Order: sequence, then structure tokens, then C-alpha cells
Amino acid sequence: MSSPKRQIAMVMDLNKCIGCQTCTIACKRLWTRDEGMDYMWWNCVNTMPGRGTPRDWETMGGGFTAGDARPSRIPTRGDFGDAWEFNHEEVFFGGKGSSAHLQIKGEQPDWGPNWDEDQGAGEYPNAYYFYLPRICNHCTHPACLEACPRKAIEKREEDGIVLLNEDRCRGYRFCMEACPYKKLYFNETRKISQKCIFCFPRVEKGVAPACARQCPGRVRFVGYRDDQNGPIWKLVDKYRVAIPLHPEFGTEPNVFYVPPMSPPRFDENGEIDESRPRIPDEYLVSLFGPRALEALGTIKSEVAKVRGGGKSELLDLLIAYEWKSMFGGFDRDPATIEWTKG
Amino acid sequence: MQASFVSERNLDALLDPAGAAWRNVPRTELGLTGTPLGLQPTAAIKASWADKKIGAIDRVDVAALNDGQRLLFRLEWRDPTESRKITDNNVFVDGAAILFPTVPDAPLVLMGAKGAPVNVWYWRADEDAGNHIVAEGFGTTRIVDRDRVRTRAAWNDGRWQVVIARDLRVDSPEPVANVQPGAPAQFSIAVWDGANSERAGIKAFSPVWTDLTIEPAQR
Ligand code: SF4
Ligand code: SF4
Repeated sequence: MSSPKRQIAMVMDLNKCIGCQTCTIACKRLWTRDEGMDYMWWNCVNTMPGRGTPRDWETMGGGFTAGDARPSRIPTRGDFGDAWEFNHEEVFFGGKGSSAHLQIKGEQPDWGPNWDEDQGAGEYPNAYYFYLPRICNHCTHPACLEACPRKAIEKREEDGIVLLNEDRCRGYRFCMEACPYKKLYFNETRKISQKCIFCFPRVEKGVAPACARQCPGRVRFVGYRDDQNGPIWKLVDKYRVAIPLHPEFGTEPNVFYVPPMSPPRFDENGEIDESRPRIPDEYLVSLFGPRALEALGTIKSEVAKVRGGGKSELLDLLIAYEWKSMFGGFDRDPATIEWTKG
Repeated sequence: MQASFVSERNLDALLDPAGAAWRNVPRTELGLTGTPLGLQPTAAIKASWADKKIGAIDRVDVAALNDGQRLLFRLEWRDPTESRKITDNNVFVDGAAILFPTVPDAPLVLMGAKGAPVNVWYWRADEDAGNHIVAEGFGTTRIVDRDRVRTRAAWNDGRWQVVIARDLRVDSPEPVANVQPGAPAQFSIAVWDGANSERAGIKAFSPVWTDLTIEPAQR
């Protein structure tokens, strides 16, 4: 694999994510409505701490340890939470709207794509949680690509988007086993794997991915990594507040996260206790590596600066006063484009 | 091994693994071995199969017939689990294939090489149509058509019985094997055990080309 000329990337600010799943639905409606895709959520948002989607993916293995491929397993449909079927016909069209209530048909599930939503961890009054949106990381060292014996996965020369070629794929699923982020899905109808495409048909026309553009919380920044006027370079390289999830997986993601700041803790007397954060440092380090604490330190000192009457380019950027500034030039309105299918 | 001539020309009858045409045809047992771990094409596959057995099926009974137009193989092997359908992301189906060199001494273990293709007649348990495949090395298989290779399979009492057939000669721009009565031919067998998650190069195969004589028509 040769390295791409440029790399497009995304930054997600976890301090702003409200877990509304608008990104999830934007992606679902755009890309995963065809046959065999019912259980696919190329974008998911999970509550952390939590078991995630697929269930317990963080401990499934995959990726690389010191450059060596690490074995893993293929997540099942049940691990992903499958796709439930509801009695829509009965409730909405069967004339039983006032007697029957909406429910899952058949066997009742014991897991779903967002089963532990808003559960979190910690004890009242110091309980805590935050949301973690995830897409394919369009890795620089993609474990999926390297696992495939058919070279069915490619990393695009022009922008580093990792794409699965559906004509080459034979449904072997080595990619699903190898990806440590468990961001590939098997389509049982078509007998091929499928994954997030970073909305490449939009990107090619200067439009940000749907999950980013539709986000009401202004969580997601998009742009080329090396664009020094764009938001990605500033957040990742200049201020170093955006870092990859599980860098130890060795795939070098191109999706970066601004780690979440904690609300204050209360002590036994109900007084605010500033001595330690409510979200334990160790937990954030377990997700983002030790750089999580440096990133939070930088944000805190910028906040202090602004509180003291100073100015902060970083905070202005994170607040995203101007929506379009988040998209690194990929800010064209998709409604102005005539899209053709096929 | 010999592919004896039969006068039965009805394809349906010939494809039936339990059919009369096969009743007295001598069977040859071929030993199968797993594709070596070291030859698996990617580091991820090597890492995940390092401690697992590749090639769960270790022998197959082979019989062959020809009717002057078609060449038919009947394979039978023991497999306690019938893997017919992909019912989950981690479920794989059983399969089998007949491999032919298309040039003398095409490398069998590597599934051919550039310029030395192997031709594969492939059956998989979840598809009715057989696949007609050409490969020039691991990871290069391509399906050239789906109507020339005919297959029929039955699983009974822990045994697969599979018939795989194709015309002796086909007109194709692809490097496929053409064989003819009287002339020497060679083949190999590959078997994938779905219950052992076998797919792609994770399979068992007969590791040397077996000689095949195709008996000319008797009148
Ligand atoms: S996140 Fe997974 S699927 Fe996406 S590029 Fe990285 S290894 Fe491949
Ligand atoms: S980038 Fe596009 S394809 Fe990928 S998760 Fe977001 S909306 Fe879906």
C-alpha cells in the first residue's frame, strides 16, 4: 500500500455530543437501507463507560501489537444488537392503534445497539457518563485492508478514504476479524462486507459527510489533515487537543477526539470537590492514552485564559461560532447539487 | 484415476450423487492436507490461524465419469456438521472444488501463478449454481461464469456427497482447462469445512496433481 497524497480526517469534540443520534440516522437513511443492511450502523453513538457496539468490542482484539497482527474474532449480529422487527402494521395500519402497543416481534432481545444508553458509571452524586460517536477511522495503517487476501479494500490515493470494493469482496470476513474498532459489517444477502465510506460521493463534491453536516451539536470537524487553515490541523497538530481512540491498537486512526472534561465532584458534605475529576483520569487514559490528560490540561488553561479576559483561538474554534468553519472547505450545500444515482 | 465412459446422457441422472450411474464406479481415496500456515497470504490470517487446524477434512472419496461430452466428479467425505447457510457473521459454509492445471506443472499449492493459471470448478453449499473460476495465485480467484459448472449435493448421516460437472471442452476467452478422451489430464481436490470457519486459502486439498485418464467412448 502506498501512502495517500492527502488524508481527509474528522475530529469529534466529546464535550459537545448530546447523544441525539442525528448522525446515526443521517448515515442510516443515506447509505444503509438496502437489503442485508438492516443491522448496520456505520455511525454509532454509545454511552461511555459502557460495553459499546458491538458489545465489548474494545476487548475483542485485532489491530497490531508492536506492528504484529493481533488475533481477534468476528462480531456476531447479536453482538451488534441485530435489527429488531416491530409490529408496525398492527399498530399503525391494522386498526388497533388504541389497543395494541408498539413492541418487538418474536423473541425478546437481551442486547441492542445502544442497550446500556445513559447508564454510565460512578455513584450518586458523582455518577458520570459521556457519549462516544464512532465511524470507521479511515486508518493510516488499516488492519482491515492488510488482512484481506483479495486486496478488496483500498486506501484512496487522493484523500486516504478506506473503501471496500464490493466487486472484489468474496465475503471471507478476515477484515471484520482484523479491524480492532469492529467497524465492518457482513451483508448476508449480498455475501460481502460493507463499511463507512466517509461519504466519498459528497466529499468529492465539496460536501462534508452527512454525519458531520447533520450534527446539531456542532461536534464534528472535517478537513484535510495537512490544511493549516483548516480545523483538523489546528486541533490535532497545532493545539494537540484531538487524539485518536485506542492508539495502542496500532492502526493510526484519522478520526480524532477532543476528550470530555468532567463536571465537578461533590464531597460527603455536598461541597464541590476540585481535588480530582469526576471522570477518572485512568478511564480516559485507558481510552485515549496518556495524551488525554495533556489535551484536557491545554483546554483548561485556555478556559482560564478566556475567563481572565483573554482571547483563545482554540476555544473559538471548538465553540464553532461559525458553523461552516468546521468543514475545512467541505462546506458546499448538498441541496445545490444535482445528485444522480448509480 | 480413470473417468470411465458411460452411455447415460441424462444430466439430471448423472448429477444425482445417489443415482444409478455412480453405483459401480470405483472410488479412489485421496488424502487431503491443510494449506500450510506459512503460505497464507496475509499476516492477519497467519496470526489468527497460528494455533488452529487448517483443513479439517483429511480424506475424500473420488469417482469420475464422462459421457463423451461432459466430465463429472463425485466426491464423498465425512463431515458431521452440515454448514449449508450463512446464518451469522461468523458462520461459514461447506464447499469443494476440482482444480485443473491449464499449463503443465501449474503450481498447485499456491493456486496457480501469474501466467500459469489453475481452473477451478467450485461448489458451495449455499449456492445451486457452480462457479467456474480461474486463479493465478492466492487472492486472485475470479469467477468467469456461473452456468457452465453444474453441481448437486446431498448431506446424509454425516457425509457429503457432491457431484461437480462441466463439459470436457468449453469455448472461453479465459484460461480454462479443456480435456479430451484419451489425452492425459490432471486434477486436485479442495474441501472447505464451514464448521471450522474455512474459507479462501483456509482449506484442505490433495497436495499433488492426480493423473486422470478419460476413457474414450465405447460403441
Ligand atoms: S477503523 Fe477498522 S475498518 Fe476502518 S480503516 Fe481502520 S481498520 Fe479499517
Ligand atoms: S462519514 Fe458518511 S458513511 Fe461514514 S459514518 Fe458518517 S455519514 Fe456514514
